[in-house]
Amino acid sequence: MNTTIIPSKNQGSEILPEKKKKSQLVSIWKRLKKNKLAVAGLIILSFIGLTAAFANVLFDYNTVVIQQNAAERLQPPSAKHWLGTDELGRDILARIVHGARISIPIAFTTILIATVVGGLIGAISGYGSKRVDNFIMRIMDIFLAIPGILLSIAIVAALGPSLRNLLIAISIANIPPFARIVRASVLSIRNEEFIEAARAIGANGVRIIFKHIIPNSMAPVIVQATLCIAGSILEIAALSFIGLGIQPPAPEWGAMLSGGRQYIRYAWWICAFPGIAIMLTILSLNLLGDGLRDALDPKLKN
Amino acid sequence: MTDRKLLEIRNLNVEYRTDDEIVYAVNSLDLSLNSGESLGLVGETGAGKSTTALSILQLVADPPGKTTSGEILFEGEDLLKAKKDFLRHIRGNKISMIFQDPMTSLNPVYSVGDQIAEVIYLHEKCSKSEAQQKAAEMLETVGIPKERYDEYPHQFSGGMKQRVVIAMSIACSPQLILADEPTTALDVTIQAQVLELMNDLKVKFNTSLLLITHDLGVVAQVCDRVAIMYAGEIVEIGTVEEVFENPKHPYTVGLFRSIPQLDEKVDRLKPIKGQMPDPTNLPSGCKFHPRCPHAIEACTKIQPAMTNVKGTHIVKCFIHEGKFESTELMEEVK
Amino acid sequence: MVDNILEVRNLKKHFKSKNGTLHAVDDVSFSIKRGQTLGLVGESGCGKSTIGRLILGLHQATSGEILFNGQDICKMNKAQIHNLRKELQIIFQDPFASLNPRMTIGEIIGEPLLIYKKVKRRAELDSEVRRLMDVVGLSKRFINSYPHELDGGRRQRVGIARALSLNPQFIVCDEPVSSLDVSIQAQVLNLLKDLQAEYGLTYLFITHDLSVVKYFSDKIAVMYLGQLVEGAESDELFKKTIHPYTQALLSAIPVPNIHQKMKRVKLIGEITSPINPEPGCRFAKRCLYAQEKCVGQDLELKDFGNSHFCSCTRADELLNVTL
Repeated sequence: MNTTIIPSKNQGSEILPEKKKKSQLVSIWKRLKKNKLAVAGLIILSFIGLTAAFANVLFDYNTVVIQQNAAERLQPPSAKHWLGTDELGRDILARIVHGARISIPIAFTTILIATVVGGLIGAISGYGSKRVDNFIMRIMDIFLAIPGILLSIAIVAALGPSLRNLLIAISIANIPPFARIVRASVLSIRNEEFIEAARAIGANGVRIIFKHIIPNSMAPVIVQATLCIAGSILEIAALSFIGLGIQPPAPEWGAMLSGGRQYIRYAWWICAFPGIAIMLTILSLNLLGDGLRDALDPKLKN
Repeated sequence: MTDRKLLEIRNLNVEYRTDDEIVYAVNSLDLSLNSGESLGLVGETGAGKSTTALSILQLVADPPGKTTSGEILFEGEDLLKAKKDFLRHIRGNKISMIFQDPMTSLNPVYSVGDQIAEVIYLHEKCSKSEAQQKAAEMLETVGIPKERYDEYPHQFSGGMKQRVVIAMSIACSPQLILADEPTTALDVTIQAQVLELMNDLKVKFNTSLLLITHDLGVVAQVCDRVAIMYAGEIVEIGTVEEVFENPKHPYTVGLFRSIPQLDEKVDRLKPIKGQMPDPTNLPSGCKFHPRCPHAIEACTKIQPAMTNVKGTHIVKCFIHEGKFESTELMEEVK
Repeated sequence: MVDNILEVRNLKKHFKSKNGTLHAVDDVSFSIKRGQTLGLVGESGCGKSTIGRLILGLHQATSGEILFNGQDICKMNKAQIHNLRKELQIIFQDPFASLNPRMTIGEIIGEPLLIYKKVKRRAELDSEVRRLMDVVGLSKRFINSYPHELDGGRRQRVGIARALSLNPQFIVCDEPVSSLDVSIQAQVLNLLKDLQAEYGLTYLFITHDLSVVKYFSDKIAVMYLGQLVEGAESDELFKKTIHPYTQALLSAIPVPNIHQKMKRVKLIGEITSPINPEPGCRFAKRCLYAQEKCVGQDLELKDFGNSHFCSCTRADELLNVTL
């Protein structure tokens, strides 16, 4: 094919090397790195994650975390017990480290379920007809009218407290906000010209949703997910606190708070340290979420 | 009109700094404007036209924008050194600005009349009712019946909104109006109406006008003088007659040849090759040399100086010293 | 081979809105010969873009026929329209909005090839994408870039390459250069012209810019509020402009020539709304020559020789007036 007629061909730009296919992740990471607070959040989070992963190496579950030791009950922080001991003589640091193994995986799982289910509902609602949209969103409105924690309490109370029921309860409570967010971004993206362009080159509905709409609506969802994990950790703690979540003697942060509340006047450390653990995790997730919000926008160059 | 210089810009440099790069938006720009005169500032996207206008009013967002050097003398006062209070007094009162998009430059929650009245009330020592009365007069001046005083921006069409914006900008009888692509967002027939209005008002109020545009046609209809900007520099400046009849700079010539003409059928346009240079990494020497068909060795290394060709016609190019057969190029332009 | 590749007959597209029916396209008929360019000119809101989308089957017409190679697009089912898209493509106005920001240039240009299974292996796709980039004069080093890393002119070349990838016969160009700078605009116009000569393409060139359309088109049709008001061969239209609206449009263009100050045909007021229009000439309210007979009944396009059509009731009188 003769292409010499093209005027701008001989620009000398061919000498420049072809750009390597830069994964979007790399550029997102580059932008995220610039946000100091988000990086701080990420570091705290990785630290918590790492200690949770190696919890069994650090503290033995059966002998240190669960076993009661009347001789050492209610000890203040010391060289032997860095964060003190609780009313049953168990090391609080050990229980917090093992507690992360409960809270964080459950929080991630619930949000994963909520994202997938909520996202699907939102995508159908946004891309579907007006009647489908109306029907789905009114149901979501009913859910949204009930505070999430109340909904979770109701579900767990009805099904009985167990790990599985806790998962179900928190997932369901988190579905409506995700459905709303995905629907809103699908609605705005489906009117973009590149969707029309995709239709013009013969792309069918499935391809448009998966190749064009979903990649472009991921950013707010990822941000929301990060922030919701924090919320979910709080909900697990709250449910455990009122005795509907993780059952003793498992070292869940909320349950630890609840257990220590009788002793708060003379053994502040029992409540303070699990509280700080919850706060730090949530704070770092929120910082990371805020940083991701900016980093995920491809149009923001720097 | 006297030849008193109303605005004089000397060696202005404006940069936008981000974490890893510096955008050189305006580079050692010199420009002057007499009172009552209208100057067209022509250039393509990213040439630094809007930045120039914004820096006159000190409206360049800082950060990332930064005026690194230069003087902007308005009636002899350096606006770059002026206090905030003084600038506020100047803005809207002595110098006013018309933005490109009339849809976004009006506040949707106030009636158009009140928006004009507010400008008058802020700058002139008068009562609210006097300001309102004057605002109604201004509406009439730009061809909007004063019965529409209480209507809101969304009730107006694009051309009418731009008229409101113009009324707002002339409400305090400013000495200078900076118009940034005032008709680009409008349809041609509406653009023609607005340009005509601006022409009339210019004569009526004897206001100076700095018209920023990418459209040489608009300049020909409205302006007395024209400055061609490229990569943050003025490459050619002169009266409209001088530049349009005898364009000297290869970029200006290229611009004229890129425009499809109405009165002549051409088979093929002769565009300028290549793209605008990256403003973070401008070429050395003459900034136009990578795209210039006449570039010689010297162009890649040394910056040409502003040279007076004839009358007030100034060009920044080495070639004008005899090597350039402008008559030949003029044939093609016409 | 001068048959009509596209014939539009009595095309109507009405949108229901809460204030009434919006007559975006009202009873429009025209035809385009193979290998030629029809320029469709009008101001914003006159329905010219809607016509482009109707032709591509992106909108469903209210009534009328669009015959592409003799087949009516309006009566086609989904599968037929899917097949049609191989022959019929579109270049959009805004090269910012019409490219998916999360796909690389290579993926964007290659997508139609994947959808229509034109390539069998990855390597084949890659080489075809590179060939297309070459055809539109896009440096191959951009193959892995994202749209936001390119300037407007290059982005528009990506849009053109995507439209060309299926080797279509007909391309709707919806204001392809109006968001570009003049020097880049000329490059893209030249590219489109070269491609037409090389591949025998037919264009429907939608624009608001009469000077571009004159450079580019064989025939020109002028639209006002959903209706055609005048149509003729390009040279003929500029030599013998009949309709007052076309005259006003022509005179409103600011010419970059200082000796030709505007000798303007003034228009009163602004474009009216195309919602529930009354019968009669829609331009009458702004027209200098409007008379009673202009309103009340719908007008038809009349032939004034040389296949020059105009809908003005006073065309015969206006022909004798020199402006």
